[in-house]
Amino acid sequence: MKKNRRLVQIIILLGVFILGGYAIGSAVFKSSDKPEIGSKPPTFSLVGMDGTVHNLEDYKGKGLVINFWGSWCEPCVKEMPMLENEWRVLKDKNVEIIGVNVGEDALTVKNFVGQFGVDFPVLLDKEKLATKKYAIGPMPTTYFINADGKITDIYVGMLDKDTFDKQLEQLN
Amino acid sequence: MFQNTKCECGHQNHIGTVLCESCGKPLQDSSDSTEPLEMRYDGVARKSQKVNPSIIDRVWNFFSSVKVAVYLIMITLLGATLGTVFPQESTFINGDPATYYKATYGTIGNIYYKLGLSHTYTSWWFVTLLVMIGTSLVICSLDRVLPLYRALKKQQIRKHLNFLTRQKVKYQEEMKLDVTPEAWVQAAVKPLKRKHYRVHTEGSALMAEKYRFSRWGPYINHIGLIIFLLAVLARSIPGWYMDQYIAFPEGDIKHIPDTNYYLKNDKFTVEYYKDNELSKEMQGQNRLVAKRYETQAVLYECVDQCSDPSKEPVLKEVDRHHIEVNEPLNYKGFMAYQTDYDPTLRLRSVNPEFRNKETGEVYGKFMLEMRNSKLSYDVGPYHLELKEKYLDFGLNSDGQPVTKSQEPNAPAFLFLVTGPDLPNEGFLYFYFPNQIDKQRFNQQALNEKLSGDWANKFDIRVNGMQGVGLSNTSYLTIRVDSAMPFIWIGATISMIGLIMGFYWNHRRIWLRFDGNRLTLGAHTNKNWYGMRSDVAGILKQLHVSVDPKSLDNGGDKS
Repeated sequence: MKKNRRLVQIIILLGVFILGGYAIGSAVFKSSDKPEIGSKPPTFSLVGMDGTVHNLEDYKGKGLVINFWGSWCEPCVKEMPMLENEWRVLKDKNVEIIGVNVGEDALTVKNFVGQFGVDFPVLLDKEKLATKKYAIGPMPTTYFINADGKITDIYVGMLDKDTFDKQLEQLN
Repeated sequence: MFQNTKCECGHQNHIGTVLCESCGKPLQDSSDSTEPLEMRYDGVARKSQKVNPSIIDRVWNFFSSVKVAVYLIMITLLGATLGTVFPQESTFINGDPATYYKATYGTIGNIYYKLGLSHTYTSWWFVTLLVMIGTSLVICSLDRVLPLYRALKKQQIRKHLNFLTRQKVKYQEEMKLDVTPEAWVQAAVKPLKRKHYRVHTEGSALMAEKYRFSRWGPYINHIGLIIFLLAVLARSIPGWYMDQYIAFPEGDIKHIPDTNYYLKNDKFTVEYYKDNELSKEMQGQNRLVAKRYETQAVLYECVDQCSDPSKEPVLKEVDRHHIEVNEPLNYKGFMAYQTDYDPTLRLRSVNPEFRNKETGEVYGKFMLEMRNSKLSYDVGPYHLELKEKYLDFGLNSDGQPVTKSQEPNAPAFLFLVTGPDLPNEGFLYFYFPNQIDKQRFNQQALNEKLSGDWANKFDIRVNGMQGVGLSNTSYLTIRVDSAMPFIWIGATISMIGLIMGFYWNHRRIWLRFDGNRLTLGAHTNKNWYGMRSDVAGILKQLHVSVDPKSLDNGGDKS
């Protein structure tokens, strides 16, 4: 009888601990839903201009720069040549640069990419799902992710070469 | 400290017992007291009352305290109040909350956001409070209901004299009896039964009881509340709860993030009040007040190629509904509520004709969508290939054509036209669907510059408004809440418990003879007035006249 009572107490407290722990745990976890410096970037699966599907996992183990842009956004357009040059240099240094176009259709992006001679991978986020996950507000916004898969910085605004190079140093 | 818990009637009570579990003798205060007894939980010890409590016991005891429960509820209420100061992040807030609160409510809004009160109800501390209340509910109930159940299950009929004289309803009198006390007791059974009492007798002692089930009301209420709380907490299980605010431009099929569903706003209609239907103060101000707005929605489910973004998903229509305010679409728990609308008309498609400017011959029409435009069109013998597209045409600082936004404010299309009598490589033609843009950007001059004479020979134009598709936007709240049925079940059970406890009350009457002296005590948990009139009524039928008020033995009045 006494033993039974203790057992019931332990079972109930354990149940409360597990259920409550789960509830509180998920509340704590939820508050850091948005990507921030030090956290892991949200996954994405987007079609590139090359017609293949690009996933975040494809870039595992590499430094990664994700640039969110649109052809209507002037500062985005202005920083393109710099990104293109950096991409050519960094290709062999285990750092990838990818551009994510926010919401435009393939034709517009194709023309733009042709016009500006952009060769680095450009992905289409037509439904703006990745844009939402990455909590993109003003554009351009650039994510810097190190080889360990952690966000080292989120840069909002136009990048110049100096700022970009400084950001790169943090990647290593 | 050693404490003797054995009652004079021979019953071994648990530590913490107030009234002997068997005969009801008060154990914890001096026997010459005549104060009315504390009858809560029939004086049984709570499960947790123990000597030398261990850590588990201490945790248990903390949660088993009603005082703690009351404080927890008060803190939770205060916390919940804070969440109502400004709108929560999850509701109707468009844009980045980090800037929204500051921009809308100033510094206070910013502090509100920084403190995390913009998501009060999902914050760790609020959830912690809910979990603690839940724990307290379970433990408080369990700690009391089991001993109470046992105490009420095995009630002794002949109670201790002190137990009777210290009830709040008391009657004691030396009787002049024509019959034996046993026979008098038997005679009392009938009137009691008529009043729906269950009567148990034992020689010259009697116990009558009714509506015991109302004592379980609070515990059934608690079970309902626990189900309610668990259901609320279950919303954090992935897939159980979703709440999104999405814009649906008319005619578009939109994917609902994190689901397998696609929703199409087939048609959106809004009806306004006529000026004479408005109240006097609002008349004559050219105000548009919506009378009714409705989205004709089609819900699709993706059945194939759903996770591969390089392929078109295969959709199957699963539901159709005219969504109005308070008339949501509901498909297997997937709900779409009408929340808002934007009546601004946007250009959606045009159906222009391609014609010879010189002869006026029309070669045919083609459907040109602003979004997801097709890349090639066959019009009569001619072939039009879409080369460039600008939704909001403009020139950048280098003089190059760019789109200034993603909205089709000033759409422009560059076609390569090939066909009979044309040069092999075709000619380029810029087409602005809006008449105003044609002039603003000088379509004619632009085309002449691109293609010379060809631009004067051919023309793309819309013939009248029937060739123009305009669309407005409906805003829907998309909600999935699998916890909802459990919330209803919990609330129903809780209500049943409350009704049991509110509308019935547990009444008990004990009486015993010592020689010819009758001692009667009665107890109820509420409505003492009813209890006293019950006793007086029954005594009257046994030819004992007594004023109900005189039965009052003090204690609180109710």
